[in-house]
Amino acid sequence: MITAYLKRAYSSFAAHVFDVPPRLLAFLLFVLHLVLPVAKPDPFIQLTVFDIFFLAAFAASWDLLVGRSGQISLGHALFFGIGGYTTGILSVNLGLAPWITIPLAVLVGVSASLLIGLPCSRVKGPYLALVTMALPLILVQLFKLDLLLPITGGEAGVGILLPIIPSAFFRMLGFGSRDAIRAVALATYYFALFLVFAASVILYKIANSKTGMVFVSILDDELASKACGINVTRYKLMALAISSLFAALIGAIRGHFATIVSPGRFLDLTVSFAPVMVAFLGGIGTIYGPLIGAYIYYTLDRFVLQKMTQIPFLAFTDWEHVRFLIFAVIVIVLVIKWPRGIARFVTDKLHDLEEARDLDERGKWIWKTYKKRKKKE
Amino acid sequence: MHLLEVNNLTKRFGGLIAVNNVSFNINEGEIVGIIGPNGAGKTTLFNLISGFLKPTSGTVKFKDENITGLAPHKIVNKGIARTFQVVRPFRHLPVIANVMISMKSPRGARKIEWLKTHERKALDLLEDVGLSELMLEPAENVGHGDLKRLEMARALATEPDLLMLDEPFGGLNPLETDFLTKSILRMHLDEPSRGIVIVEHKLYALMKIAQRVVVLHQGEKIADGKPEEIAKNKRVIEVYMGKEM
Ligand SMILES: Nc1ncnc2c1ncn2[C@@H]1O[C@H](COP(=O)(O)OP(=O)(O)O)[C@@H](O)[C@H]1O
Ligand SMILES: [Mg+2]
Repeated sequence: MITAYLKRAYSSFAAHVFDVPPRLLAFLLFVLHLVLPVAKPDPFIQLTVFDIFFLAAFAASWDLLVGRSGQISLGHALFFGIGGYTTGILSVNLGLAPWITIPLAVLVGVSASLLIGLPCSRVKGPYLALVTMALPLILVQLFKLDLLLPITGGEAGVGILLPIIPSAFFRMLGFGSRDAIRAVALATYYFALFLVFAASVILYKIANSKTGMVFVSILDDELASKACGINVTRYKLMALAISSLFAALIGAIRGHFATIVSPGRFLDLTVSFAPVMVAFLGGIGTIYGPLIGAYIYYTLDRFVLQKMTQIPFLAFTDWEHVRFLIFAVIVIVLVIKWPRGIARFVTDKLHDLEEARDLDERGKWIWKTYKKRKKKE
Repeated sequence: MHLLEVNNLTKRFGGLIAVNNVSFNINEGEIVGIIGPNGAGKTTLFNLISGFLKPTSGTVKFKDENITGLAPHKIVNKGIARTFQVVRPFRHLPVIANVMISMKSPRGARKIEWLKTHERKALDLLEDVGLSELMLEPAENVGHGDLKRLEMARALATEPDLLMLDEPFGGLNPLETDFLTKSILRMHLDEPSRGIVIVEHKLYALMKIAQRVVVLHQGEKIADGKPEEIAKNKRVIEVYMGKEM
């Protein structure tokens, strides 16, 4: 009886998870990362995986805005940075707990996006792209002012942020101090993993909801969208707010994880361009594509490009930026080869294999509803 | 009370007067044709009524309310829907999703909760215009004739009290034209109080459907009457001289 039950549970699970490539991908990755710290307690790999996850979720938030609603942001570091800096400044200077400062950081990020979006969404043109690109750079300069230096730490950044999960918690549970530190590292890993994963899933769900379809309609034809009775300005702002909410959230958690929030890691141009590159690489507008892009990006970065620093004549002082340039060139070449992104290339192949209908993921839920309806009749 | 009242509407583009002092009314349940040669100002007139262009002067009243210069989406939610002469599909979205966008507008969402699901309503509309077979096809793969009908389904999904079709027969073959004519007439029977305005540049296409025809020429209204009267109207014949009517 139990086996029958398990079989049924499994088949229903399989039907829901395995039939849709992005879900299968997400599921496999999630399990992989769940067991990773146990299976391979190598801190270098763990850190890399971490970076991948953060970049993937951050890029997914960018993708919802740009790939779905068609509003171009070239400076998503703005919201990421606002998230990191807000929680950093509050937790370092006021000693507030992360569970207070992170929501506040999200609030500040969303408010900033609305302040920028209100004027930008009413006019046509590249205003949003320009404003978002300029503002992080302006912020960096502002943070270097004597007046703000004690709070923002200038070039060095704000530090040290309180850990999201304090080791006192584990000591209270009776862990020894060394065990407690290890337990904190593990708990933080899982906390961030769950949060970043949840953020990505929610972004994917939003993108494929009816509201997400309205975003796409604006991307396709703003005028026609208006003719359908859609308040385009409102939906554009909504996309911007949702996107910045997740960007700020991910930035804030990243800040606590990194313990120091500095311009180079939170407001730099490279921070803005990384999600753009991985989204293009993985497949813009797919939301899950950036995950694939992030994997390729970090694999190349950590296991190929960083090794190159060991070659003497390549040991530039500003390696960070050179590396980025090399990667940008690689991405451009790949995007020319697969303009729709690697994720779509793979799913297209999978579809061909299954001889499934050639449906975009946006159409899939409609297909499902249709099948359900047919079944009822 | 008229459903729509257009009073002394004028639109200038620089030195060109695209619509010149045009006035006419549409009553509830009336099917009115607007004809005129290319460049007569028909599309501009539509854009003025639906809020996509602001008139230089003149007013548009809908159900006794002044709607001149309102934002397009607000006008849709008051109950005026329009289609575009050059089709404007959401090409990344499947056909059925194209229709469902209209249902995300406040007006289009009105009847959904207690009647049916979004999908059901969208499917019914697609069936009405004969597109249900293509519902899952991304709009970019759909042919021109079908997109013309999609335009109409999308407009209908906003539950309009006044439907304005800009050259719905343009580029359709005789079979498709016949089908569309029938859908419009059927729709008229289903929703007898809805006003319908159909733009065409030729008169004969409207003879069967329109109860009244307004003729535009170089931005000015030159005739307004029953189709049979218009066909005999001297001024209209003059304008169309040498051309097929
Ligand atoms: N946005 C615009 N700017 C300048 N001139 C325009 C614009 N839209 C239309 N026109 C001009 O207005 C006149 C009427 O055009 P239109 O309303 O499209 O005619 P119709 O739909 O009757 O063929 C044409 O001469 C056209 O060139
Ligand atoms: Mg026209």
